[in-house]
Amino acid sequence: MELLFVFLIFGLLGVVLLSLNALLGPKKTNPDKEQPFECGSPYLQDEIKPFPIKFSVVAFIFLLFDIEVVFFFPWALVFKEMRPAALVIMLAYGAILPAGFVYAWKKGAFKWD
Amino acid sequence: MNGFGALAPLLIIVGAALVILLLDAFLKKDNKNYLACLSLFFLVVCAVFCLRSWNKNLSYFEGQLRLDNLALFLAFLFLIAVAFVMFIGMKYLTLQNVPGGEFYGLLLLALSGLMIMTSSLNFIVIFLGLEVLSVSSYALAGLKGKDEKSSESAIKYFLMGSFASAFLIFGLALLFGTAHSLEISAVLSSFRANFEGQLLGLVGLGLVIIGFAFKISLVPFHMWTPDVYEGAPTPVTAFFAVGPKAAGFAVLFRILAPYWNEGFKSGRIFDVLWTVAALTMLIGSLIGLRQKNIKRLFAYSSIANAGYMLIAVLAGDGASLIFFLTVYLFMGIGAFGSLIALSKKDREYTDLEDFAGVGFKYPWLGAIFSVFLLSLAGFPPTGGFLAKFYVFVGAVRQDLTSLVIIGVLTSLISAFYYLRIIVYMYMREPERDVDIEIENPALFLVLFLCLYGVLQLGIFPGNVLYVIRQAAASLF
Repeated sequence: MELLFVFLIFGLLGVVLLSLNALLGPKKTNPDKEQPFECGSPYLQDEIKPFPIKFSVVAFIFLLFDIEVVFFFPWALVFKEMRPAALVIMLAYGAILPAGFVYAWKKGAFKWD
Repeated sequence: MNGFGALAPLLIIVGAALVILLLDAFLKKDNKNYLACLSLFFLVVCAVFCLRSWNKNLSYFEGQLRLDNLALFLAFLFLIAVAFVMFIGMKYLTLQNVPGGEFYGLLLLALSGLMIMTSSLNFIVIFLGLEVLSVSSYALAGLKGKDEKSSESAIKYFLMGSFASAFLIFGLALLFGTAHSLEISAVLSSFRANFEGQLLGLVGLGLVIIGFAFKISLVPFHMWTPDVYEGAPTPVTAFFAVGPKAAGFAVLFRILAPYWNEGFKSGRIFDVLWTVAALTMLIGSLIGLRQKNIKRLFAYSSIANAGYMLIAVLAGDGASLIFFLTVYLFMGIGAFGSLIALSKKDREYTDLEDFAGVGFKYPWLGAIFSVFLLSLAGFPPTGGFLAKFYVFVGAVRQDLTSLVIIGVLTSLISAFYYLRIIVYMYMREPERDVDIEIENPALFLVLFLCLYGVLQLGIFPGNVLYVIRQAAASLF
C-alpha cells in the first residue's frame, strides 16, 4: 500500500512538473538545443578532437566533491546510533572540503586563460 | 583505553596541513620560510601530545585507531624525519626554483598518512593511510613542474603506485572472503582455523604483501625506485627514502610477526619472502656498482637496505627492525642532505665526477658526508654498523644463517660503492668546477643533528634501545 502511494506521489509529481514546464516554459529553440545529447561537444564527429587540457582540473575537483557525497550514505545509515559524534565528524569533514575548494580557487584553478 | 588523545596528534597534523595550504594561497609571499617555522611549531605540539600518551595504549574510533607504543615511537621518527626534510628543503626550494608552499602542506599530509598507517590494526584503515601517503607523494615527486625528470618521476610513481594499490585492494577483498573481517588478528586466526579457505587466504595475503613490497621497494617491485629518486627534488627523495619505507616495514611487521607465531614459519609466504630478501640485497648492491649518478646510487642503496630490514621481519625481530629504521632515518637524511649542500643556484651536482676533490675544497662537508657513507656501508663506530649487527644476530638466533651470509657478502659489495665516493672526494684531482652555496644554516643544522644521531646510535645506543624494546613489546 505504502509502495503504491510512493509511486503515485512521485509519478504524479513527475507528470505535473513536466506538463507545467510544457505549459509555462518559454519555447525558444535552436539546432544546438535540439541535439539528443548536450555536453559541449558535438555528438557526431569524424575523429576525436583534442580537448582543452584545462578541463582536467575541473574534472579533478568535480571528482573530489563527487566522492565526498558518496561518504554521506554510510554516514546517514549509522547516524541514529551515534548522533552527536556523527554530526561533529561530518561537520569536520564538511569543513575540510571547502578549504580545498578555496585553495583551488585562490590558486587559479578556475581561471580559463 | 578509549581516549581522544589517540586522535589528537593526527588532528593537529591535518589541521596544520590545511592551515599551511590556505596561508600559502592567501598570503602569496615570495619567501616561504615562515611556512617551515609554522610547520615546525605544529610538529613540536604534535610531539608533545605523542609523548604524553606513551605507555597509555589509547584508542579511538571503536579501536580502529590505536596509539600503542610502537605507533608512538614511529610517529616520533616520522615527526623528526619531516622536520629534517623541511629544513633541508628550505633553501633548496628557492635555489632550484621549486614553487614552494605546497612542499610543506603536502609533507604534512604525507605525514598524516604515515601516522594512520602505523597506528591501526585494521587492513582498511591501513590502506586508507597508505593512499593518503601515496597521493601526497605523487604530487611531491612532481613538485618541480617545469622539470622533465621531475614530471617523469611523478607520472612513473603514480602509475606504478596505483597499480600496486590495485593489487593491495584485491588482496584485501580475498582476505575478507576468507575471514569475513579485515582486522589483522581476525584474518590470522582464520588462517589457523580454516584449512579449506587457505589457498584463497594465501593468495590474498600474497597480494597484500605485494602492495607493500612496492612501497618499500623489494626486488621484483623496485623498478620505479631509481627513476623516482633521481627525478624528484632531493629533499623529497630524502623523505621517500625514510618515511614510506619505515611505515611499510612497520605494517608488514605487524602483519607477519603474529603470522609467524601462528606456526607458519615454514610456510610458502615465508619461503617467498626469504627469496625476495636475498634478491633485494643482491640486486641492490650489484646494480648499485654501475651507477654514476649519486641519487640513483642512493636509490639502489635504499633497495639493498630494504633487504636487510626484510631479514629482521623474517626473523620476527621487532627491536632490531625499529633500531635499523631509526638509524636509517639519520644516515639517509644525512646523506641526502649532504647532496643538497653540494648545489648552487639552478644547479645540483649529482654526478660521481663532481665529487672529485670536494673533500679538500669543503673539508667539513666532505668529512660529514664521509661519516654518513661509512655508516651506510656499516663501519663501526657508526649507527649503521650496530643496526646491521643487531639484525644479523637476531636472524642467526632464528636459524636464518644462510640469509645472514648473503647479507654480509652483499654489504661487502655495497661498501665498494660507498667508499668509491670517499675515494673521489679525497683522492682524485678535480676536473670540473664545483662551487656551492655555503650560506645555508638550516641545512647544516640538520646535517649536524644527523651526524650526532648516527654517532650516538653507534656508540651509546643503550637509552634508545631501551625505548625501542618497550615499543616492540607492545606488539604481542
